[in-house]
Amino acid sequence: MKLSLKIWRQEGPDKEGRLVRYQVEANPHMSFLEMIDVLNEQLIKAGEDPVEFDHDCREGICGSCNMVINGVPHGPLRGTAACQLHMRHYKDGDTIVIEPWLARGFPIIKDLVVDRSAFDRIIAAGGYVSVDTGSAPDANAIPIEKVKSDTAFDYATCIGCGACVAACPNASASLFTASKIAHLALLPQGDAERKTRVVRMVDQMEKEGFGDCSNHGACEVVCPKEIPIDAIAFMRREYMKAVLS
Amino acid sequence: MESQSKLIVALTSQVGRKYLTGITGVLLVIFIIGHLLGNLQLLDSDPERFNAYAKSLHDFGLLLYIIEIALAGVILLHAFIGIAIFMRKLKARKHGYKVSGQKQGGNGKQSLASRSMIYTGIVLLIFLVVHIAQFRFGPAKETVINNEPAMDLHALVMETFSNIWWVIFYVGVMVLIGFHLRHGIWSALQSLGAMKPRWSKAIHGAALIIGLLLAIGFLVLPIIIYVRQV
Amino acid sequence: MSDSILNARIPEGRLEDKWQNFLDSCKLVNPNNKRKHTIIVVGTGLAGASSAASLAELGYNVKAFCIQDSARRAHSIAAQGGINAAKNYHDDGDTVWRLFYDTIKGGDYRAREANVYRLAQISNNIIDQSVAQGVPFAREYGGLLANRSFGGAQVSRTFYARGQTGQQLLLGAYQALSKMVDAGKVEMLPRQEMLDLVVIEGKARGIITRNLVTGEYERHVADAVLLCTGGYGNVFYLSTNAKNSNVTAAWRCYKRGAYFANPCYTQIHPTCIPVSGDYQSKLTLMSESLRNDGRVWVPKNADDKRPPNQIPESDRDYYLERRYPSFGNLVPRDVASRNAKHVVDDGRGVGARGVAVYLDFADSINRLGVDAISARYGNLFDMYERITGENPYEKPMRIYPAVHYTMGGLWVDYHLMSTIPGLFVLGEANFSDHGANRLGASALMQGLSDGYFVISHTLGDYIANNSFPDVSDSNEAFAEVESESSQRIEKLLSIQGERTVLEFHRDLGKIMWDNVGMSRNREGLGSAISEIQKLRDEFWQNLKVPGQATTYNKNLEFAGRVADFLELGELMAKDALHREESCGGHFREEYQTEEGEALRNDEEFTYVAAWEYSDLNGESTLHKENLEFERVAPSQRSYK
Repeated sequence: MKLSLKIWRQEGPDKEGRLVRYQVEANPHMSFLEMIDVLNEQLIKAGEDPVEFDHDCREGICGSCNMVINGVPHGPLRGTAACQLHMRHYKDGDTIVIEPWLARGFPIIKDLVVDRSAFDRIIAAGGYVSVDTGSAPDANAIPIEKVKSDTAFDYATCIGCGACVAACPNASASLFTASKIAHLALLPQGDAERKTRVVRMVDQMEKEGFGDCSNHGACEVVCPKEIPIDAIAFMRREYMKAVLS
Repeated sequence: MESQSKLIVALTSQVGRKYLTGITGVLLVIFIIGHLLGNLQLLDSDPERFNAYAKSLHDFGLLLYIIEIALAGVILLHAFIGIAIFMRKLKARKHGYKVSGQKQGGNGKQSLASRSMIYTGIVLLIFLVVHIAQFRFGPAKETVINNEPAMDLHALVMETFSNIWWVIFYVGVMVLIGFHLRHGIWSALQSLGAMKPRWSKAIHGAALIIGLLLAIGFLVLPIIIYVRQV
Repeated sequence: MSDSILNARIPEGRLEDKWQNFLDSCKLVNPNNKRKHTIIVVGTGLAGASSAASLAELGYNVKAFCIQDSARRAHSIAAQGGINAAKNYHDDGDTVWRLFYDTIKGGDYRAREANVYRLAQISNNIIDQSVAQGVPFAREYGGLLANRSFGGAQVSRTFYARGQTGQQLLLGAYQALSKMVDAGKVEMLPRQEMLDLVVIEGKARGIITRNLVTGEYERHVADAVLLCTGGYGNVFYLSTNAKNSNVTAAWRCYKRGAYFANPCYTQIHPTCIPVSGDYQSKLTLMSESLRNDGRVWVPKNADDKRPPNQIPESDRDYYLERRYPSFGNLVPRDVASRNAKHVVDDGRGVGARGVAVYLDFADSINRLGVDAISARYGNLFDMYERITGENPYEKPMRIYPAVHYTMGGLWVDYHLMSTIPGLFVLGEANFSDHGANRLGASALMQGLSDGYFVISHTLGDYIANNSFPDVSDSNEAFAEVESESSQRIEKLLSIQGERTVLEFHRDLGKIMWDNVGMSRNREGLGSAISEIQKLRDEFWQNLKVPGQATTYNKNLEFAGRVADFLELGELMAKDALHREESCGGHFREEYQTEEGEALRNDEEFTYVAAWEYSDLNGESTLHKENLEFERVAPSQRSYK
């Protein structure tokens, strides 16, 4: 199948970027990233710079890949990271526009590669349980209701890809931040620090320059792990409880 | 003292701002429901019914002013935060995407209503100025109810809505109110953290119905009044 | 080749007491002195993140490096199945001894007893630590932790978190790391690639890194360097490893004097989604648990090209059930993989390319119903369908083995220290605990055992026993190593030949897979060595790397890594050639039983082969660490 691609090319952080048109011959069984591999080989052979993009595990769990495909983070399929998207969902002659995550909190490094270290700083602002190595009680000392543990897990599945920010009309990082807050607050292990945690993480999220959440719910639609925005409601409750008590 | 400053910090945070938007939003929805119920008395064939209702409100005297100022405060706060959030959004993503698209199965709770809150909100704010000037401080004639002097607001409304352009203007704005409420009601509850996973869909649906009912309630009024006078 | 005997510094005492004896007698560092020592940790997977966090908690200054944009993306994140521990929560007879024994046996008696016993002892602490961090392991309705039996073990000792155990454990370790970043005790440096090790006066004293965003070289000084850089499965080009996984850091240390042990021990995982075309960039693993309910088969006749559902039972060969009546589809990974290769070599492979076997759930679906199968494997079935476009509820899955894990790695002693003092190697990057074959759910255990519970003590012992004269990054040794690194990068860019990094990598992968893969023979290994040498020469003359060294340039990163793979591949083939026996993942066709099973030669090969670098054209020198089995008697593995 022949495809027309329009890909965001930007040489560096402070450079101007633009969409550049390419043609590529793809195979329906290829993954989306493999299709870009093919394009890049073509570009290198032609003496041009290949398209830079982050990728690693290519099985939807590391959270590296970040492409807005025809206006949608990770492309058209639900619950799918770009690396798991296969070309059989496209047809011969299609035009595909590929852009990077756009947000002040995620400055562009080159082409489709962005700096997501803001997420690390949000986690470092209390997104953990303070238990030093060696000080843990027996794992079965605290039984946890299965339903609660499963719900915590649903929030813990976040892969930190940043699609939520990319899709949010306000470029808010609320779903990412809330997922970690909800994961830890739902478990007894995370209980002791839940108040300081939510206040610090919300504060950090703001400092990183992400926008406010206006409850569009665009994030939950693009989340490759389909984490619901109930997490955000949870975060808000946690926050008010923490501040008012 | 310390807890006070903590509260201020909290309310100016991202979460706090949405709390305030949510609380003021809920208050405004309650007000609008009351306002609609009152206005429906305009449909009574006896003009005195509505004028009497209006008078009973005016009879609150000082209390009415306090309520009105509080209401104005709620509206301004709601609008101010909404605009501030919008300004932050402009900073948070300077340039938008070149194309827009949809996930398979639709874009979820995101809608025209949610994306246009700032615009419908600004129109509503401007509308409020017109609306208050027109009916709160407008040229109402004197009338007498139960031997006491009163304003003939009924007549003012009838006169206004005999003009097709005013009818169109009001109907248009009421449609926008419907949009604003469609996202606003759901959003307020989500902002206040009232959401449980189980309720999420139901509340999102209920917001649609309430928004629709309120908008219809408001926009049929001018139409009926106009039609009756033709 | 020389036969010097390596000293593994195994503590005195009974096997059960060795670790305790070490803890009782090792030297400690005064708490006030720990902050005077800087420790470098390279890699932030399970071993790296856990060791960086633990050492920082103790008071050391830690600098942690990773090549990804965030520590959380290390490849440990992709582990699916679970983590073993001898908790015996179900009272089904599990003990530390049994976990130890299974691991030693599973490794085909090519692992070091003392290390494996320590691993089994520590296994329980890992579960406690992870749960305390908020890792959401699966639970029973009573609220206690659930377990499953995994990889053919006869007890339920595997803790799991859906199919995302690696992810959840890594996030736990990453959060512990983040906590110490927050406390100011860890400096986290993402998007930095270690290019070389700096050895001063015989001790590892720092590293040279390249900032992958700006291309700048950086010098980092420390009192010890911990290498937690994972395995080298990507030498095969196609593997289940993440695209960025590489051997460079370990290989650079090898070239600075660390010995590389058992490089030929590679694990080929039997249940992966087969290659679909030449453009294939990596392979995806399907959890081994699928073999609990799926039946593996191929057509009896090579020319049977009917769709699977039209092939009657009588024309199917359920070859694992036929050959191994007692273990059937649940034979260990190496056995299952090898048998798949046999039937494919026989011409009976399925799918468009003929390089796959069926994994059929039809019987299980008939017996248990679609709902039960979906509850067990729903997400795996979805993943399969997403990748292949085929529905495994209706049509049998096609699977084929793929490179998954490398048991070999830098040689370390009981202290996890390499042959370069001050250079410690943890997790998959070392060779220590899995022998010639790793059991399922043991990789996560080893990474975290090394990182959370072993290194803090053995590193302390090293720090306390040594003096560290002041070294600054303007030291001559740093300048020299940095200049070598930068010259190499410049060289890669300056060749400007005709072929891309990807093409060379693919070629190397093919040589490795065909000759140093699931089954190996003298002739193939010999030709692999000369082919790799030829390819390497061509690489340095005809490589084309685009772009500059001063910007983000992924092709340049990959070029450096492939250059190292081109050297490692040769050493793997040499090691495989020298090991004239079959054991675990290393199958030499010349050495098999009459039934075609791996035939060990304990007389001559009960040792760890640790290779010392001399120079590329000369022979690497072989050193042996003899393995002594005091407590278990090596026996022939049988799964009949």
